Amino acid sequence: MKAPDVTRLATAAGAAATLGLVFAAYSTYDYAAQLDRQLHAVHCSFVPGAPAPADGDNPCKTALFSAYSAVLRASWWGGVPISLFAVGAFGFLLAFAVYLALARGRPARWAHAFFAAAALGPLGASLVMGTISLTRLHVLCKLCVGIYVSSAALAAAAIAAWRLVAGDRGEPAAGAPPSQGAARAAPSRHEMLRVLSWAGALGVATLLPAIVYVALLPDYRPFLEKCGKLATAAEPHGSLLKLPTARPTRAVTLFEDPLCPTCKAFHERLVDEGVFEKLDVTLVMFPLDSECNWMVDRALHPGACTMAKAVLCGRADRARAILEWSYEQQDDLARAGKQGADALLAKLRERWGTDLLTCVGAKTTAAQLNQHLHFAANNHIPVSTPQMFLGDRRICDEDTDLGMKYTLAQLAPEVLP
Amino acid sequence: MNVRRTQDGPPPRRRLDGKAGVVAALVGVAVVGGATAAVASMVHGARQRLEDPRAAAQAVAIADDAEVAYCTPAFKVVLQRVLNACGLVGAEQRRGCQPADVKTFASIGDEDFNALFAPLKDRGAVILFDENMDTLDDGAKALLEERWQDRKGARYFFVVARASKDGTVEGNRALSHKRANSVMFHLKQATQDPDLDKQIGLLWLGSEFAQLSKSYCDWPNSRADKRCTPEAINRSAFVSWVDCRL
Repeated sequence: MKAPDVTRLATAAGAAATLGLVFAAYSTYDYAAQLDRQLHAVHCSFVPGAPAPADGDNPCKTALFSAYSAVLRASWWGGVPISLFAVGAFGFLLAFAVYLALARGRPARWAHAFFAAAALGPLGASLVMGTISLTRLHVLCKLCVGIYVSSAALAAAAIAAWRLVAGDRGEPAAGAPPSQGAARAAPSRHEMLRVLSWAGALGVATLLPAIVYVALLPDYRPFLEKCGKLATAAEPHGSLLKLPTARPTRAVTLFEDPLCPTCKAFHERLVDEGVFEKLDVTLVMFPLDSECNWMVDRALHPGACTMAKAVLCGRADRARAILEWSYEQQDDLARAGKQGADALLAKLRERWGTDLLTCVGAKTTAAQLNQHLHFAANNHIPVSTPQMFLGDRRICDEDTDLGMKYTLAQLAPEVLP
Repeated sequence: MNVRRTQDGPPPRRRLDGKAGVVAALVGVAVVGGATAAVASMVHGARQRLEDPRAAAQAVAIADDAEVAYCTPAFKVVLQRVLNACGLVGAEQRRGCQPADVKTFASIGDEDFNALFAPLKDRGAVILFDENMDTLDDGAKALLEERWQDRKGARYFFVVARASKDGTVEGNRALSHKRANSVMFHLKQATQDPDLDKQIGLLWLGSEFAQLSKSYCDWPNSRADKRCTPEAINRSAFVSWVDCRL
């Protein structure tokens, strides 16, 4: 046996587990900070401990507020962050790597095989989450990438060490025929128990932080209904838009801005959670752009008034398509909006044709948008987007992101899949 | 297993394995336990901030009607009284204002009353009428509709109708009333706005009220191509959205 090589590999695996633990801990810290329902910066750096940017969005924030960052969201407010499981698992794997390193190539039989198999867990989770990041979120969060890389390095080191040991002892390698070396490799009852105890310890270590997290969570139910109501549910001109959905079962009013990144994330969350198709959606355009909205002193989202008019021009049949297109193309459209009206109108003409453009420029459309804004003013809603009213009850901002599924489970369980 | 036993203890491999196992177990307990304690601390901290959010209270702007610089306290006092007198505030139906009451409810000299509206020069317009007439010509209708559509964040639309000094006080008062109504009726017909009655404040001022000076000819009016005289500018209805909150 090449003991020094195995020890070095175990040490490398331990280092990778430590790094993974640190990245997972930062991710958990950022997630747990949101439990107070206030705004917090989110860390997003390959350097653990680098200060979190206080302003603006970053990919880590996108990932954190996505539907994929936690499980069991309907049962607990915010759910249980996946990073919590990573914290426990990396902690166990770090300890096991210490064991393998100290044993200097002479650990208990099956220890390396178990370590290699256990290291596949974080790697598998990283592959799944990385794929979701790329295909659904279209961002790569640096903290997450740190975890992915740590997982890969850990798995690589663990597998390499196991192969080295297995080759030396004649233990079967992965995929090898069962007969190969079976006589010498068959585990005794004692060895089986030992492996099972390691697996049990891995399970306990992985679940313990999550169990403690859940046990200490506050009761959020009293907070869910404290964010006000619509004073005037009806718009006298009938100018609000109805968005078509597959199985509308519960009336909601959404205040949205087509160029608002948070609105985009919110819409995607509703769709990803399987909720949107069960909502009977009344859409109110609330662009945060001083070109049409007197409630903001500057254009937070330049071009949003034009895009809001485009959605209004879509009427009942195309409004949803135009809104979702504006979310899909939001980066491009936001850039065009900053360049000026002509650039934005060119994008609209290219995708939706000149008829829509004519409608966007019509005085009646401007008047309709103005009616939407007055609807917001008459209801004295906060000047922010997105906002969701379930019936006439306002869903708090915190409950439209991390707490959305829990809130819906409490207030409108029929819209959950 | 190819392990050579020593005389008085477990084989070296098992001894090494046992020591490593103990150390690793201690490391595991320390790391996982420490991480769990840290998680508990994070959640506990969030819970405390949740229950005592004073430090994090953030001012959030609330959607409301527009409020611009000309909304001085004096202007808003008059505006409030006009709106109360006209039935726009706290009532279902508009009932209109009695011109004789203007001086009373405004509690302000009529010259000062006119001056209050001076900041609305760029926001409003003067709809001009023919002598002794209350009908709107095409230019008047177009300008009126244009101003109506330019609502922005305003909640109230003011119509202040006047008559020149020609004729009797009663006759001028009646004529002023008709001119105000002409504006109102046209807007109703042209816009079909169901909320109109809750938005328009009508005032009709007879010839006994202070006349507008010729300087008001500089304001946007419905007969820009015709000569403006002191008499002509007072055969009018001043219309404007008012960007003030009450």
